[in-house]
Amino acid sequence: MLVTLIKYLGILFIGGVFGYKGLIKGKIEANLGNIQTIALLFLLFIMGITIGINDEIISNIFSIGLKAGIITIFTMGFSILGVRLVRKYVVLEDEEVES
Amino acid sequence: MSLSILLAVLSGVGMGYFFLPITILPSLGVIIDIGLMVLLFFVGIDIGKQKGIFGVIKKVGFRALLVPLAVTIGSILGSILVGPMLKMKINEAGVIGAGLGWYSLSSTMLLAEGYVELSALAFLANVFREISALIIIPLVAKYFGELEAIAPAGATAMDTALPVISKATGPQVSVIAFITGVLCTIIVPIILPIILNL
Repeated sequence: MLVTLIKYLGILFIGGVFGYKGLIKGKIEANLGNIQTIALLFLLFIMGITIGINDEIISNIFSIGLKAGIITIFTMGFSILGVRLVRKYVVLEDEEVES
Repeated sequence: MSLSILLAVLSGVGMGYFFLPITILPSLGVIIDIGLMVLLFFVGIDIGKQKGIFGVIKKVGFRALLVPLAVTIGSILGSILVGPMLKMKINEAGVIGAGLGWYSLSSTMLLAEGYVELSALAFLANVFREISALIIIPLVAKYFGELEAIAPAGATAMDTALPVISKATGPQVSVIAFITGVLCTIIVPIILPIILNL
């Protein structure tokens, strides 16, 4: 787990340094958005393959979707509740955020 | 973009279901690992480009950091609480909430760890979160409060959901929303492996 964490943080940090120092220039910089989109779509395509190849997931896709919907309601509901609990401590430019 | 994402996933599902043998899975694992690194590298570049973020945090006040903290804890707690009702292990339910709406990263990280079904669940739950956030943000701002309107967006508060938050609230809340999105984006790759291994 520690190795995974260090690996992810390391890559994130290296990317951060590249972005902060402006080390990526020219055509690559101009096309960063496109490169990112292509990488993302390729990754999601591969993810689709791993799902499609697995018969058990395909046969349970509707129950997985239902579970996902229920979890979404709870994650969003509790995050709204969490912000509600801290809102009185968050003061902006000497005035409370109006509700 | 949403259509491209849907097409990418569905064509992958079709390819896997109809044409590819299951023996290809180990090779896909290597590709996913490399793809994940590329994705994180580009996210790092995006974060690194936000040079003024610390100045903004200082100006708004460090107490604004309570918002991303509350969003993160609330999301994880919500999924952990509902997990047992869905016959899920607490850590596996927790990682779904820990995705904070960032479907591409949470699902591929779980896939890289060998959790195929959990990855599909993370993908769907976080896609649902992103889509429904865009719908409910104006309603939350109107009926619950402007600051609370940041919560449904999670990590997407720095990009996809920011224009919606900005329209439904005001400039001050928009600044906090952006900070929340950036910090949630940094938090996801840190907390996801930790919760998964609990």
